[in-house]
Amino acid sequence: MKAKIFASIAVVITGAILLYAVIDFPDFGDPGSPPNAGVPGGAPAASRYYIQNTYRDSKVPNLVTAVLADYRGYDTMFETVVILTAGISIFAILRVVRRDDDPSAPEPVASDRTIDGDHHRIIVGITCRIAAPLIQIFALYVVAHGHYSPGGGFQGGVMLGASFILLALSGSLRETLARFSERDYTRLAFVGILIYAGLGLLPMWVGRNFLDYGALSGLFMTKGEEMARSHSMLGVEIGVAITVMSIMFAMFANLSTRGRLQGGL
Amino acid sequence: MSEHLPALVLLAPLFGTLVIGLFGLRDHRVCLPVTLSCLAVSLFSAIGLILRVSSGGPVDYFMGGWEEPLGIGIQLRADAINSPLLVVIAIVALLAAVFTIRPAGERDSEKTPYFYILFLLLSVGLFGITITADAFNVFVLIEVTALSSYGLVAIGSSKRCKVAAFHYLIMGTVGASFYLLGVGYLYLKLGSLNMQDIHTILASNENLADSRAIRTAFVFILVGIWTKMAFFPLHGWLPNAYSYSPSGSAAILAPLVTKVSVYVMVRMMVSVFGLDQLEANVEWGHFVVWLAVIAIVAGSMMALAQREIKKMLCCLIIAEVGYMVGGAWLGDPQRWGMTGTLYHILADALMTSCLFLAAGVFAKWLGAVKLEDLSGLFRKMPLAATGFVIGGLAIIGVPPTCGFYSKFYLIRGGIESGQWIYVAALIGSSLVNAVLFFRLFEIAYFGKNPVASHAHGHGHGDDGHDHHETPVVRREPPLHALLPVLVAAALLILLGIFNGPVVEFIRTGLIETATVVSTGR
Repeated sequence: MKAKIFASIAVVITGAILLYAVIDFPDFGDPGSPPNAGVPGGAPAASRYYIQNTYRDSKVPNLVTAVLADYRGYDTMFETVVILTAGISIFAILRVVRRDDDPSAPEPVASDRTIDGDHHRIIVGITCRIAAPLIQIFALYVVAHGHYSPGGGFQGGVMLGASFILLALSGSLRETLARFSERDYTRLAFVGILIYAGLGLLPMWVGRNFLDYGALSGLFMTKGEEMARSHSMLGVEIGVAITVMSIMFAMFANLSTRGRLQGGL
Repeated sequence: MSEHLPALVLLAPLFGTLVIGLFGLRDHRVCLPVTLSCLAVSLFSAIGLILRVSSGGPVDYFMGGWEEPLGIGIQLRADAINSPLLVVIAIVALLAAVFTIRPAGERDSEKTPYFYILFLLLSVGLFGITITADAFNVFVLIEVTALSSYGLVAIGSSKRCKVAAFHYLIMGTVGASFYLLGVGYLYLKLGSLNMQDIHTILASNENLADSRAIRTAFVFILVGIWTKMAFFPLHGWLPNAYSYSPSGSAAILAPLVTKVSVYVMVRMMVSVFGLDQLEANVEWGHFVVWLAVIAIVAGSMMALAQREIKKMLCCLIIAEVGYMVGGAWLGDPQRWGMTGTLYHILADALMTSCLFLAAGVFAKWLGAVKLEDLSGLFRKMPLAATGFVIGGLAIIGVPPTCGFYSKFYLIRGGIESGQWIYVAALIGSSLVNAVLFFRLFEIAYFGKNPVASHAHGHGHGDDGHDHHETPVVRREPPLHALLPVLVAAALLILLGIFNGPVVEFIRTGLIETATVVSTGR
């Protein structure tokens, strides 16, 4: 009880300080606010630069993708690394490797088949099995269209991961793991980062800075640097999607089976 | 290649992580060589950066080549303030990696690759935080650092380390959220995330710098960072997290994570909000110095009460964080306090590294967890004990170790700014450290035969059966565990002897960064 009173006081103070500063904020949606127009004395506002020059720089209609995958791509790379780190931490804490872990081992009791009786399983299972490929195709669309319309690697990756989780939830984790095994998803999680960081590293061969995709116009055989940037953004989004997908599913598999990857829900 | 050094420092461990992830999970022998060579590349890059900074001033690196206008991309900047810290991070990480050559007994060997992956990711995060010049990028890398630290704490097999990691996770997440809120408020008022840009705006616009939102942002950033560095009232997570984690993890976590957080605070003060701005509000400085004094006293008192070696060292970290925060806020006109803080970051990282490595050696090869377990240490492990003594002398502040000089600069700052209470706390805490360590040395040198206390019970070590043999057997730990302790101890003395050039280097950078406001545009 004491802890609760303490915590409430802390929360009230924090909230009060936050509100105290709110009066000082620029109006909502004000085009003249500092993030939109910059502050006299400072550098011109980054957002204004993005709005005016993104299409010229990279021929990407979706500004948001250009900001996160190109101008601030370094941040996004580390955001992806954060997801990888979270996944690796979960493996490191939960994963239990036993000798009897191989798939030929007999099915443990109270396994996949007893959730709610079999008759529910048929309808749910078949529906989900039909839905999963559709979800995956839509997810691929979201990934591939990230630089034209809302979407991108994180969203697409989550959808891809969710399709596998759906299969594991409605059918059995064991069958899903047979298609998307532990070895595959751990590898793919790193491959995704490798695609991102590797695309960033390539420009360094020709003496340009890390993540300077413009230098890849030779690799992608594009006319100008703009299209090279656009293509690299797609590549980077694919890398993000692969990592996010693998880690999503890996977290589910580990958390739902307490790291044993057997039986489960 | 030399223009890519700022990126290379952290890309080497990042790619090392990928190599381990792709190949090391199958073949565990890949892990260690990859880890060592990546950290070596980082070390050489960091040394290269120091050389470039000392010859030509700060080195800028623009990710993706987005240089103009400032703030559209992400800038890395190595200057005299952070390049020595980069070298120290690389050294401490290397020493910790060498220390882990044989997997610790408490670690499941199946988890070896995960350990090294998290280890390298932690180094990536620390290098990234240190070298970046973008306020939001600091947050992203704090996340990388924090998540890998939680993993490294929880990777041990005991249940206690999982609980400690959970506590750490909650506190760390709160701290990171506070930092993020602060950066959000800054962006809302200033429209920029680049530190240099923010500094220019705040220095040229008095009204803006005094506005409510900016002040709130500063308070939130500070409280967030204080949580991360275990500044006294926010220190709850630290002792358990660092003392229950495996020795290999503690050897990199304890020296570096808190120190890099202190660096972030200094960076925010010096090159985001500006020292002139802070010196205009002296009462803030006095308030924080008081907090620091409380932290120093509390840390020292808690250290006196501890019965376990690692717990005691953890409490000393809390006191040391108090030194550094107080030193940074002294606000003396010659900035000796700030200089002392920056020098103490380097010194304390090495000291803590030395002591935690030694404590890891004692825990692993002697089964020594409690203070009394160290009895007869000098006869059993004379070399390792020497390393431990040098680390202890450095913490106490005995010349010629670096601990003496950092305290000297901090006290000089305290005297020049008239903060006598801080000076008194610093000296008092040094006395407490002397009491603590000389008690330890006494146990280690004159203590009774260790067999008597060990023959029954205390099954800590891997090789408990050895204790039944003749009592005074010289049994040094293997070279790979001994070497890091001795190297760290030697570096403590070297850093102390060469304190003049190091401090001169830091000071020029500090004064440059603090005074030069509108150049670099």
